[in-house]
Amino acid sequence: MQNIEMIRMQINYLVTQAHHDIYTLATLSDTSMKPQILQRLWDALSTIQFLSEWLANQAKTSYPILPSQSSYPVPSGNLNQSPIPPITPSPTLPIAQSNQRTFTIGELATFTGKNGRPAYIAVNGIVYDVTNNRAWAAATHFGLIAGKDYTQEFASCHAGQQSILATLPVVGRLV
Amino acid sequence: MEGQILPPESLTNEAIAERLTSTALESLKKRMIKKKPLIYLELNGCSGNIISLLNGQNPDFEYMLNSMVDLKYSNSLMAAEGEQAIDKLINAMDGEYILAVEGAVALKNNGLYNIIGNWDGKPLTGLQAAKMLGERASHILAVGACATHGGVSAAKPNPSQSVGLQRVLPDKNMIKLPGCPVHPDWFLGTLAHLLLYGEPETDNLDRPLMFYSTLIHDRCPRRPFFDRGIFAEKLGDKTCLFKLGCRGPVTRVDCPTRQWNGHVNWPIGDNTPCIGCAQFGFPDAMAPFISYDTTRVVKNE
Ligand code: HEM
Ligand code: SF4
Repeated sequence: MQNIEMIRMQINYLVTQAHHDIYTLATLSDTSMKPQILQRLWDALSTIQFLSEWLANQAKTSYPILPSQSSYPVPSGNLNQSPIPPITPSPTLPIAQSNQRTFTIGELATFTGKNGRPAYIAVNGIVYDVTNNRAWAAATHFGLIAGKDYTQEFASCHAGQQSILATLPVVGRLV
Repeated sequence: MEGQILPPESLTNEAIAERLTSTALESLKKRMIKKKPLIYLELNGCSGNIISLLNGQNPDFEYMLNSMVDLKYSNSLMAAEGEQAIDKLINAMDGEYILAVEGAVALKNNGLYNIIGNWDGKPLTGLQAAKMLGERASHILAVGACATHGGVSAAKPNPSQSVGLQRVLPDKNMIKLPGCPVHPDWFLGTLAHLLLYGEPETDNLDRPLMFYSTLIHDRCPRRPFFDRGIFAEKLGDKTCLFKLGCRGPVTRVDCPTRQWNGHVNWPIGDNTPCIGCAQFGFPDAMAPFISYDTTRVVKNE
């Protein structure tokens, strides 16, 4: 509840700022300021959208409309946590969460990033989540599609770039 | 140049290009620089780059051709045709020249898949011309996706065995201007820089840093949506196009701030994902250009 009150305040603040920006734009004589103000308006609007999505999700979980609202199965244990839209890039992902899960190559092959599934790939026996990685738009990357073991491809395309792997959330091990 | 430019100077694309043009004109007038001969070869491709160049402004293409370079040969723009045109090409090789090449080099059957004319009664292949002219050029500009890395001409299954220009001229320095097509500013700006100040600074893939240094994703007006995970589900949505297959996050070039067709708009500005046309490996490495099954959620699959 306290959260919701804070979000309401934040939205009100953004709306006030947007009103002010629109007023400034309307009375502006020095056009060099225009791009900055427009950018701020744009940012404010997308934050408002983000917050309203969050509120809508919150409302859905408090007053479930239909019992069959399942998306893809959430790892159990945090059921009362609302499905917040993923924030990318995810700097502090709960890596410890469930990264001991094991995958066979067949199981891995179902995580293609399609039809609501996450996108996973394996490198050196570790399974990584690339669903929201910027370089993997539409779960594809330089001709590679998610759901496979790319140990060799990684070694040939990103030799000496272990740091890339360090930034990816680990979801488990390939067995 | 008359005096220095003091701040606040305008930093728009138009203003910068305009300054380059007027500086070049001034220097030409004072004979500080000389017009240089330019040979523009069109090899295995669609001539899309030359079409794009005709859309240039500040400097516009006609201006560039008439006042900054001495165009010795251009398949699309010259009046001469047939053997007469090829004669001009061969004669131009005697002096110093800048070589600009668009289109890939077709290797199959010793280059016979791409013939650019007849010389001494025999077909002159693109492969022959690229090697011969490339070896003797003072500077080489590889223009567009096909010339820089094979591009669309080299897309699978690549029936003509097309490759980028560097492959047939492995030891020559060249400036690479990837893009499908090249933006007129990237080509004309690079050429103006070459004439005024010499070769521009390039990255490790030979792309001029002045145009190719920032990731599209880092200058994209939809970035706030990406950072908050708000994604478009279909073409036309105004949010981040990542889930539809946007290649802005792997493509380094200045489209978001430069824009196209006289700097009026660009793909993401028109609600369609970036297809990574200025990334090496385009188009195969940038496929799929659009994908709906990453946004569609199928329940109980
Ligand atoms: C076919 C082989 C591959 C090629 C040609 C390739 C190419 C590239 C290129 C060119 C970039 C840099 C984009 C830029 O910032 O300019 C990149 C980034 C990236 N690649 Fe690959 N890649 C390949 C395989 C892989 C594999 C197997 C993985 C799996 C982990 C991977 C993960 C990434 C990630 C996460 C980034 C973003 C790095 C960052 O945040 O800076 N790549 N790739
Ligand atoms: S639309 Fe493309 S370039 Fe823009 S923020 Fe989204 S992924 Fe990045």
